[in-house]
Amino acid sequence: MSKNKFFITFLVLPAFVLLAAVVFYPFLYNVALAFGNMNLNKIRDWHFIGLRQFVKIFTEPSQPDFYAVFLKTIIWTVVNVTFHVTLGVFLALLLNQQIKGKSIYRTLLVLPWAIPQCIVALTWRGMFNYEYGSFNLILTKYLGLPAVEWLRSPTEAFLACILTNVWLGFPFMMVVALGALQSIPHELYEAAEIDGATWGHQLRTITLPLIRPVMIPAITLGAVWTFNNLNIVWLVSNAGEPSDNTHILVSFVYKAAFNFYSFSYAAALSLVIFLILLVFSLIFMKQSRATEAAY
Amino acid sequence: MLRTVSVSFLCLFFILVQGCSTRSSQANRVVIWHQMRPDEGNILQRQITRYMREHPGVEVVQLYKETEQLRSSYVVAALAGQGPDLIHGPSDPVGIYEATQSIKPLEDIFPQSYLSEFDSSSLLWYKGHLYQIADKIGNHLALVYNKKYVQKPPQTDVELIKLSKSIQEKYGYVAGRPNVYGLTWNYIEPFFFIPFYTGFGGWVFAEDGVTPALDNQSMVNALNFIRSLRDKEKIVPNEADYEIADALFKDGKAAMLINGDWSWAGYKQKGIDIGIAPLPKITSTGLWCAPMTSPKGFSLNINVRSEKLPLIVDVLKYLLSEECQLETVKELQTAPTRKSLYKNPFILSNENLQNSLLQIKLGRSMPVVPELRAVWDAMRPGYQAVMGRARTPEQAAKDMQALALRKIKEMNE
Repeated sequence: MSKNKFFITFLVLPAFVLLAAVVFYPFLYNVALAFGNMNLNKIRDWHFIGLRQFVKIFTEPSQPDFYAVFLKTIIWTVVNVTFHVTLGVFLALLLNQQIKGKSIYRTLLVLPWAIPQCIVALTWRGMFNYEYGSFNLILTKYLGLPAVEWLRSPTEAFLACILTNVWLGFPFMMVVALGALQSIPHELYEAAEIDGATWGHQLRTITLPLIRPVMIPAITLGAVWTFNNLNIVWLVSNAGEPSDNTHILVSFVYKAAFNFYSFSYAAALSLVIFLILLVFSLIFMKQSRATEAAY
Repeated sequence: MLRTVSVSFLCLFFILVQGCSTRSSQANRVVIWHQMRPDEGNILQRQITRYMREHPGVEVVQLYKETEQLRSSYVVAALAGQGPDLIHGPSDPVGIYEATQSIKPLEDIFPQSYLSEFDSSSLLWYKGHLYQIADKIGNHLALVYNKKYVQKPPQTDVELIKLSKSIQEKYGYVAGRPNVYGLTWNYIEPFFFIPFYTGFGGWVFAEDGVTPALDNQSMVNALNFIRSLRDKEKIVPNEADYEIADALFKDGKAAMLINGDWSWAGYKQKGIDIGIAPLPKITSTGLWCAPMTSPKGFSLNINVRSEKLPLIVDVLKYLLSEECQLETVKELQTAPTRKSLYKNPFILSNENLQNSLLQIKLGRSMPVVPELRAVWDAMRPGYQAVMGRARTPEQAAKDMQALALRKIKEMNE
């Protein structure tokens, strides 16, 4: 081995050992658990039982129902990512203009992203309180509307989680979109203006196609993060309240593992989630031709 | 040059790895995990600090974890051969710790003469082994009232409703909402519902102590009762979890509160002149609302090595000493576990403490079996759904029972 290769190996080795310890080993252990029967009573003497946990996930009734949770997770992801991207790109377009106090606006808009998620979630939970929360105070006092049972009704509680996550998530897309917008050569817009292109025309034919290579990976990442966002759902709805009606798949897994000690069931479910996200990412990246050059 | 950099890098890496692996296994370091609220945690810290001052070279570390988090983190940590040396908490997870082989039996570690100094209810025996020695008995709910609003606590549900309404009338309403609610409690956790269930004659398990008993008339009546307190009598807030109920009482917006002994010191510190009383009797059944009571104390991690045991036992004996218990009793007004303290003048002359002891007497011991876990998890959705008007009490009772049975079956698969 040459001196250089020896050095490279030494540089890579610590990272590889750490990755093996915190990613590869847990992943493989999770796969093994998914085919076993580890639960409260068999926590130390579990054994392999084949595909039974997977059969249970897809065929046996659960509380809450797996398919209902899956559907809710899709709604959660689509709605959140749609709002994150729309709001993020819209605000990035505004910030990309020559406006006064741009840096102040930019700082303020990034703020939701800078606050720890758990603090945001618990603060928003307080704001959704029926009698003392600011949302209902605004609705009843200033808008003359009836108070909403944000945390007690299943739909409203889920909506509360979505609202919180939309607020938390748009700054990331805004920052990414802003970076992409600033890299578009100004000459393209000048040429378009000379040709008489309107603002909408420029947006469709220059801006959106040129920010696409940056936005597609960001959207993919955003979708995966949102799909797996345990914190918001867990903290805003206080572990799936009311009556386990606000779970998404990842909070369902967490509850199965750490509240019910159904470790193998939870491991099988997390493997299902992994496969769903893997397939989604591959298809989305391929369909959107994210890796193709923009110019 | 390359060689020097490589070797230095490698050394640094191994030092880091070594550092991580030996930290928790230091021979003179004792780690305690607990779920104590800040007031309780501060006293523990004070006692630990005193112990460390008297024993230079020993480090005792306490770490707070939320109740559910404490249980699940501890099981996972113990399973991985890690975790704290001591775990402090209520007795109900002991069944789970035993099932997962996460804790060590204590009967061979402490001599009988030492154990006889404690009240029998504070020594938790399960399946023939001693798994927990408590420093507090009770961990129970009681009626906490603000003496500014309540001069004489209610004895029955009828008195409770009448008194609440009179307080609400006296302090008026804003936009249909009373300035001071008569009563409040946590609508989320079924632990807070148990007194109503027992008041209507129910109990979570059948005679055998492991079969859930949730689908019955007592459950329906109890659920109907709490719903009527809110929807018909309008003496409790529309929505309340632990934090909201706690905040309402602290802010003087609720005259009475159902809360546990862990919270009482906080109200005193907030400057509220509180009184403690047993939860009222349900007139229609003639039964007292009986909260679950349990010892709260220390268990020993299964992974503790024998060479470290003497140090841990020494720390534990200090924390369970008369001196430490009396200090806790004086500040928190919790019930002690050392027999000698029951004759202490402070305890005998303290009205709140005496009422708390009376409440313990009227309460029912919390079962230790792991099946209780399934019962809590099965009751929670139904309890919340009834309070959220999403299910009728009859349907909720049926669902609770079915879910509890299914969870127990899954647990035993």
